[in-house]
Amino acid sequence: MPNASKRILVGTAIALLAAAILVFPSLAPNPYILSSGVLVLNYAVLATSWNFVGGFTGYISLGHGALAGLGGYATGLLVVKAGLPSFAALAVAALLVAALAVPLGMAALRVRGASFVIVSIALVLILLLVFQSWASFTGGSRGLVVPRPFDLSRPEHHRVFYYLFAVLLAIAVLAWWLIDRSRFGLGLKSIREDEDKAEALGTPTFAYKLIVFVVSAGFTALAGGLYALWFGDLDPVFQFSILTGSYLVLMALLGGVRNLFGPVAGAILVGTALEYFKVEYGDTPLHLVATGVLLALVVLFMPDGVLPAIGDLLKRLDRTKKSSIREVTAAELAEQRKAAV
Amino acid sequence: MSLATHELRKAFGGVTALDGATVDFHPGKVNALIGPNGSGKTTYFNCVTGMIKPDSGRVTYKDRDLTGKAPHRIARAGLGRTFQLCRTFPRMTALENVLAAVPHGGLRSFRTRSDIERAMSWLTRLGIEHLARSEARDMSWGQQKLLELAGVLMAEPETVLLDEPAGGVNPALLDRIGTLIRELNAEGRTFVIVEHNMDLVMSISDHIVVFDRGRPIAEGPPSVIRSDERVLGAYLGV
Repeated sequence: MPNASKRILVGTAIALLAAAILVFPSLAPNPYILSSGVLVLNYAVLATSWNFVGGFTGYISLGHGALAGLGGYATGLLVVKAGLPSFAALAVAALLVAALAVPLGMAALRVRGASFVIVSIALVLILLLVFQSWASFTGGSRGLVVPRPFDLSRPEHHRVFYYLFAVLLAIAVLAWWLIDRSRFGLGLKSIREDEDKAEALGTPTFAYKLIVFVVSAGFTALAGGLYALWFGDLDPVFQFSILTGSYLVLMALLGGVRNLFGPVAGAILVGTALEYFKVEYGDTPLHLVATGVLLALVVLFMPDGVLPAIGDLLKRLDRTKKSSIREVTAAELAEQRKAAV
Repeated sequence: MSLATHELRKAFGGVTALDGATVDFHPGKVNALIGPNGSGKTTYFNCVTGMIKPDSGRVTYKDRDLTGKAPHRIARAGLGRTFQLCRTFPRMTALENVLAAVPHGGLRSFRTRSDIERAMSWLTRLGIEHLARSEARDMSWGQQKLLELAGVLMAEPETVLLDEPAGGVNPALLDRIGTLIRELNAEGRTFVIVEHNMDLVMSISDHIVVFDRGRPIAEGPPSVIRSDERVLGAYLGV
């Protein structure tokens, strides 16, 4: 496909997506649907943040739920215990979690593949225990009530936070794009493809992984903190849940981890489906079954995700695509032979 | 003084892979490292390039001690390497594969004009420029071997370590790789080549080191190695 027409196509798709996101609150028929929209955008930010590590380096973290939980609790505690203004607390919380991500990353990023996945799960379980048991500080299982930053009616509250999440999403996507086109990003991608080979070519792989892990943790904490300010009530069971991390992985894989908007697309699909399943099946575990089936279908039929699958389809429809074999006409061959003789 | 090792030792459990390997490679020459299977050649490469840490001994390059340094530091000191079974970045294009060898510079775009021109000139030199936009996983084995070499050369190493450049390669391509190594050597690059194809080794090397059971047993120019009794013994078991 010619570059110019491809650019126009991608530009149009991005503009449509942005417009759809911005218009949604005006179209939402009731506050409940609007709050579902907030949740979906929260997932979109989280999945994009996860993709800084998962998409670039190929390290699959199931622990990002815990980083979001830490961001939430840090924000809440800074408001409640330290009396910081809500959004100052949010910023400080994100910095704290990013700083904590340095030692966490130094420990976790030493191992690859399945071992890394298990270490990341351990992070969630450990933090769940800590935040449940340390009730005098965190509120424990009784929960932590975070005061709302604005004095607004419920629909207005949702609307404001919907747009705040949209802004955060735009910043996260922009940051991912900046890294994607940079030398740093190319180094990260080479780690994903073959870490030893990347290091043999001169890429300081460990430092690269650590930096991008910290960036990812910072964005994840921002999303978690914003959630805390929006929802106003934190419970360790939900903040430090393996499910959160699993959903993020599902969303990113479904949308396509090598694609700028993959996690956003995945979050919109899976997030909407989750909310729908919950409404339909209530508190039964059926929504988990449905999610599992969805994951299986993606892995089987679209291993690279939905967006790349659509891209491939467009490519197949375009006949001008060049093959990887150098095409030579019979006349050119004869010419070459003549020259060789 | 170029690449050298002193009393390099490495054991995996009870198996001694390197047993006090002391070697001086000749700078500016094509050096070959040969020996029977399991004689420690690849382990030696891995110790030299930092992929594994030796139990004892020293690796020096231009009088700098590189023992136990991280692989990326050794690469940046001017030692480039290929892997025994060729390794590329499968889901990246050929051009990106080569650009990945550029010393990284933060958030600057990796698609700068000068880098792309340099990468394309390496792809052209290796005869695979028409594949620049293809992903490595879609390329043939021989093309991938050339691509790996292009990536290593992009980093402008003064010394290039090749682990079996002729492995699984057809005779025509083998010829081209041999010629290329000589040309690159004439431009001033030092080569250290692990290779089983004796025709290639004998035709392109200036200096040959023979390994057996984790240490060098003979070294010299091809004419001497060809008739060395210890070498014949190690290879043929006589």
